[in-house]
Amino acid sequence: MMIEYEEYLAATSVAEATQALANGNVTVVAGGTDLMVQTAASGRGVGTTLLNVRRIADLRGVTVDGGRVTIGALTTITDMLTDGVVADTAPVLAETADRFASNQIRNMATVGGNICNASPAGDMIIPLMVLDADVELSSWVDGAVATRTVALNEFFTGPGKSVKTANELLTSVSFNRPAEGFVGQFGKTGPRPALEISMVSVGVGGVASNGSLTNARVVYGAVAPTPIRASKTEAALEGTSLDDASIQSVLDVADSEVNPISDVRASDWYRRHLVRVMTQEVLESVANV
Amino acid sequence: MSEAIEKTTLIGKSITKPDAPDKSNGRTRYINDMVLPRMLVAKIKRSDRAHAKVLSIDTSKAAAVPGIQAIVTADDTPMVGVGVTKDNPPLKKDIVLSMRDELVAVAGETEEAVDKALALIEIEYEDLPAIFDPAEALEEGAHQMHDDKPGNLSLGYQTVHGDIKQAEKNSDHVLDEVYDVHYVTHVCMGPGCVIADFDTHGKLTMYTQTQYPYNYKMDLAPSLGMHPGDIRVIQPPVGGAFGSKLDVYPFEPIAVFLAKKTRRPVKLFFSREEEFSASPTRQPARFHIRAGVKNDGTLTFRDVDALLNNGSHTSWGATTPFVMMRTFTGHFRVPDVEFRSRAAYTNMPYAGSFRGYGNVQATYVTATVMDKLAEAVNMDPISFRLMNAQKAGEVTPQNSKLEECFLGECIETVAEKTNFLEQYNAFKAEQDSPGRYKKGIGIATSFHNAGGAKIHKSDGCGTVIMLDDYARATVITGASEIGQGIDAVLTQIVAEELGIPTESITLVNNDSAIGPWDVGVHASRTTFIAGNSAKRAARKARDQILDAAAQRSNVAAEELDLRGGSVVQNDNGVPVMKIDSLLRKMHFAGEDAELVITHDYYEPPSEPEGDNHVGDISAAYSHGAYVAEVTVDTWTGVVKLNKMTAVQDVGRVVNKLGIEGQMEGGIAFGIGYGLTEEMIIEDGEVKNPNFRDYKVMTAPEAPELEFHFIENDDPDGPFGAKGIAELPTIIPAPAIANAVYNAIGIRFNNPPLTPEKVARAIVEKQAAKVAAE
Repeated sequence: MMIEYEEYLAATSVAEATQALANGNVTVVAGGTDLMVQTAASGRGVGTTLLNVRRIADLRGVTVDGGRVTIGALTTITDMLTDGVVADTAPVLAETADRFASNQIRNMATVGGNICNASPAGDMIIPLMVLDADVELSSWVDGAVATRTVALNEFFTGPGKSVKTANELLTSVSFNRPAEGFVGQFGKTGPRPALEISMVSVGVGGVASNGSLTNARVVYGAVAPTPIRASKTEAALEGTSLDDASIQSVLDVADSEVNPISDVRASDWYRRHLVRVMTQEVLESVANV
Repeated sequence: MSEAIEKTTLIGKSITKPDAPDKSNGRTRYINDMVLPRMLVAKIKRSDRAHAKVLSIDTSKAAAVPGIQAIVTADDTPMVGVGVTKDNPPLKKDIVLSMRDELVAVAGETEEAVDKALALIEIEYEDLPAIFDPAEALEEGAHQMHDDKPGNLSLGYQTVHGDIKQAEKNSDHVLDEVYDVHYVTHVCMGPGCVIADFDTHGKLTMYTQTQYPYNYKMDLAPSLGMHPGDIRVIQPPVGGAFGSKLDVYPFEPIAVFLAKKTRRPVKLFFSREEEFSASPTRQPARFHIRAGVKNDGTLTFRDVDALLNNGSHTSWGATTPFVMMRTFTGHFRVPDVEFRSRAAYTNMPYAGSFRGYGNVQATYVTATVMDKLAEAVNMDPISFRLMNAQKAGEVTPQNSKLEECFLGECIETVAEKTNFLEQYNAFKAEQDSPGRYKKGIGIATSFHNAGGAKIHKSDGCGTVIMLDDYARATVITGASEIGQGIDAVLTQIVAEELGIPTESITLVNNDSAIGPWDVGVHASRTTFIAGNSAKRAARKARDQILDAAAQRSNVAAEELDLRGGSVVQNDNGVPVMKIDSLLRKMHFAGEDAELVITHDYYEPPSEPEGDNHVGDISAAYSHGAYVAEVTVDTWTGVVKLNKMTAVQDVGRVVNKLGIEGQMEGGIAFGIGYGLTEEMIIEDGEVKNPNFRDYKVMTAPEAPELEFHFIENDDPDGPFGAKGIAELPTIIPAPAIANAVYNAIGIRFNNPPLTPEKVARAIVEKQAAKVAAE
């Protein structure tokens, strides 16, 4: 049964939006590409007031301030594909955007929405976690907008769940400009090359030199209730010279660290298999850098 | 006099479907868009149990929702079944047999009110043991689904030719294998929808997506307690049918019950989830096939046992063995053949007709078995097939008369165009060498009726043609347009006969009160049957016009032709008079006044099956040979189809654009069947009723397509044309499976070849290899 919204609000500033959130019973809509499907299928949607945040112009776009890159929550996936700052600082985000859903969905879907939907298979989350990103959460406190920052790695608590409270709005995501020599890779798989929800997604990052990675990051999607950082795999990878044998031992660690389920999209066996082969693919390409 | 007009032909040219501009501009008003004054909307409350007693249904809270106008249950209905064997009462009483079973329907002023009411209906169940596997349903002591169907047996078919025991003794190799083919669904872009509207005389107008408007009245009427003559069928534009609208399904009489109760028009429509979970599927089946061959490559026998999951009720799916057996017995020269099938009731969804009609399943088996037999006798896939291919004049055991037969030509052409054997041998040699990506090439062939199929008392179609004072023609045909393009084909045929531009033709085919009878859109029959009828009606109009022209000139009718809107002299093309001017002279001729109105009813020269399913059921047959070229990612198991080359005997191309569209669309179904599409059904419940998890092919993975049409005029076809629309759906999947075998040396008897299935098989093969070493 469809959710019936009783009130519709369209905020034009973070102050307006957070005040509306403070009144409670609000469902936030930005691109709507997840929400509209979930509403029709009687899914999520927490309140009967529909709050459109899409008109908050300040929240769209990518900026660099010193060594810090900030992506406004309303930046679309298409923006990520075409933005010069993204291409310059973190091309792995553009590569991921290129694998994201379809053109029509990318035109509407926002980076903030992809994070807030908190799907274990959310595509943009994976490279952002590889980049050690933080999210900014805004709320209306004592007559003013207050913000707090949470590491993306600590943001998710379960499928569709996060530490964001009902009165908070995710306003941006930011990360330090990656060091010289940083390489980032994203991989996902499903039967279709487009319009596909990942059966497994993998992100790997680090500074590559002489066939090894330092400051390694390994992130998996769709193998646990939330996207996960595979810290043991990262440790196994750190500074290891990537030859066939060492890659195999890294894969064994990765296998021990994921905990996938079986569902209509894939069995746990296949997800484990994909973790191995997709990680191997990414590591072999890093080894050749 | 004006300049001579050269003789040209429209046949074989590309013409745009008349409805294409409106569809591409979003102007088409589909049935789903229609709103009638005072119309109510309606939805169905279905069972959420696979098999249960219904203890009570309480609709009191639902009825209290503002805007609700009527609620119906089985108690409000005559309880007369619909469907092929009439075993499916529109609303179920006391017992539900599947998750899709209809229990209550609600009509109200708005969709929101109806949704609210549906959620407030309270149903008490007592679960009964459910059976999902057809073999289990046939076991002794299994729970009986229908009182009048002992042993849970639905429909069975059997055909026996020759002596397979003796033939087996004469075989050097015998293949003995089991195949399991799966559930897929049509995925119509326009979900199920119907509008029922009574007038004050009690006559019913049905706005429906049906693809067989005339027998539809006959099939629908008993469930309503009405006379078929009191039902008028109007067919607004539909968003796809593909066989799914070839029967009456419960939602249609349910809309009528509500319309009758409320005395208002009622529109009942499916959600996307219902379109996946409550519309008919393709028939799944388990085949046990035994097939023999001699060392010299000669086929000796085929023996096939088919077990069909009938599901809870019976629609056309259970009759698909009718078509399966023609392929098992008649595709390639096999002297001794037997086919037996049984369909068993279970608590699963039920299947309907679906483009390819049983031949998709049968060809998956025969085309992969042919590859296996070739390997057994160390022959290549091409020579082996050519050696066993029938030639013109041969007759299949079931008496399909292959008066002309281009199977060999199809195989030779596709092999040559794809450089098949060279690629095949190279890829085979690479199978066990290192490397993540493996390429493969595979061939599959089939045959199908291409001149209708006489499964009803008549396989005919009627046409009326009227010409107005401006030489504009109205063509009224019984043939329905469900996207397949008969509108363009008939326009072309009539324009060709009458020498007028295609723009001068208006086609009318959406109202059973206007159009003459037709058996329906199915069996690749419409171009052949409706095309012949239209051509014959147009020929009568042409004769009438030429006679009138002869009377008004000093040229004999036989020496005249119709070209470019004029009556011309046949030998030199010199115009004698304009057709529109002649038509006006004929019309306003006082006592001799005449209008050009002609009609025709065409019955094809085919025969119904007699005993043992023997009969030349179609006026023509057609063969196709397709080659798939794939790359298998041996890590992820993803099979990428790079190219499909299709060679098909089509008689003659009528609308080039139309035939290419039919090939492309059909192949897309075939690829989905082979690689990605699968209804995942657990304990009777469809688990992936959405586009996210039911994987239809999308544009980026569409392969390169190459078509070669073998054109030899069929003696009975309109301008030599044959029906073509099902082979493109039938042949691709086994071509892909054979290509995957060529790439990685693994056979799959259970499509689709999903990444997981392929990856698992590769890992198991590697493990077995390691264990052996």
